Parts: sequence; structure tokens; C-alpha cells
Amino acid sequence: MNTHPYLRAYLAGVFVPTLVLPLLLTVFIVVRIVLQVPIPIEQAMIFPMAAVPSLFGLWNMLWLWYHQRADLPIGLHGAILPLVLMPLGATTAHCLGVLAFGSHGVTWFQAAYVPYALIAPCFLAALAAYYLVWKYIVGSLNHVLGIA
Amino acid sequence: MNERHEDRLKKLLQQALPPVEAEPEPGRDLWPAMLRRLEARPAAAPLRFWAWFDAALLAGLAAFAALVPASIPVFLYYL
Repeated sequence: MNTHPYLRAYLAGVFVPTLVLPLLLTVFIVVRIVLQVPIPIEQAMIFPMAAVPSLFGLWNMLWLWYHQRADLPIGLHGAILPLVLMPLGATTAHCLGVLAFGSHGVTWFQAAYVPYALIAPCFLAALAAYYLVWKYIVGSLNHVLGIA
Repeated sequence: MNERHEDRLKKLLQQALPPVEAEPEPGRDLWPAMLRRLEARPAAAPLRFWAWFDAALLAGLAAFAALVPASIPVFLYYL
């Protein structure tokens, strides 16, 4: 199966965000409608719907291109993605009013307060989460699709 | 291409390609050596280390999410 390897890489990449998106939507709808928390759901969903799946797919295509030239572990490659994704997501969220910067911390979705002291641990946790997701889920899918 | 050219081409090809031996199989059974090589693979120890490392990372992530629940929707936002 050597045809269209980059298309398969893209599909393997978008798999995880495509699964997480309905879950995220469900959580937001439950919090907004059932718990009556005033979350700006329309603005909050733009980045996870429009940018994250495509970036995952493109990032996996980039890994495939790089993998054919050098041996870079996919977990490490995935752990680099937050360095691109987080500034983009934060900028988009701030522009859409989903993220507000305060004097001692940031408020996400007008509901989740994260102090500035926890931003660095959050970032490290994101690196770890992305490392695991890419190593075990995207890597397995790449293997199944014959591109690993 | 005339006959003279054909003969010359044949000779050149015969010179360039080594003759195939009558017995192309190896003289001994290679499978035991292959088995020994497979058994001697030192990959088990690093694999075990990475499995522990990944399990520790996962446990750390779960602990972090439990300590800072506000980080959960933010993580979901980026997935």
C-alpha cells in the first residue's frame, strides 16, 4: 500500500481531534445549557473546529516527510506541536473574547481561572499529553495505515 | 542489429554478469544463527524504561488534572 502516503498521514493526524471535538462540544453544551454557566460556546469552538484538526493532519504529514529523511521519534515530534498550537490558540481565543488576561492570571471561557504561576506547569503538562497522544495514538494509526 | 553485433553484445553481457553457480543455496543451515541473533536482541531493557517513563507521565498528567481542574477544558480546547 504505497499510494497517497501523505493523504493517509493527514487522515491519521486528524483522527484524535475529530474524536475529541464531539466530546468537547458535549461538555460545553452541558456546562452552558444544563449548568447555566455563561460560556461563549460559539467563539470557543472556532479554534478546536477550524484549526486543531488541520494542524494535527499537517503536522503528521510533516513528520512523514521528515521521517523519510531522518529518524525522529513521533512522540517527540508531537511534543513540539504545542509550541506552535498554544500561541496560535491563545491569540485566537483572546481576539474572540474567550481568553481574558487579568492581573494575577488568565480566565478561559469566562469560567476557568488559571493563575500565571500555573501557566508553565500547564504548558509542560500539555507537552507530556501531546507526547503520549502522538506516540501511542497517532503512531499506532500510522503503523496501521502503513506509513510508520 | 546484425549477427556480429548480437554476438558481441552477448559476450559483453557474459563478461559483465557473474555466472550463476549450480548450487546457489548456502552450504549450512542459517536458521539457528538467525534464532541466536533474535534471542540476543538487547531491546527489552530500553523498552521497559520507556514504558515506565510513559506510565509516570500519564500518572503525572492525571494528578495535575485532579489538582488543577481548570486546566481540563483548556487541554480539550487544544485537542
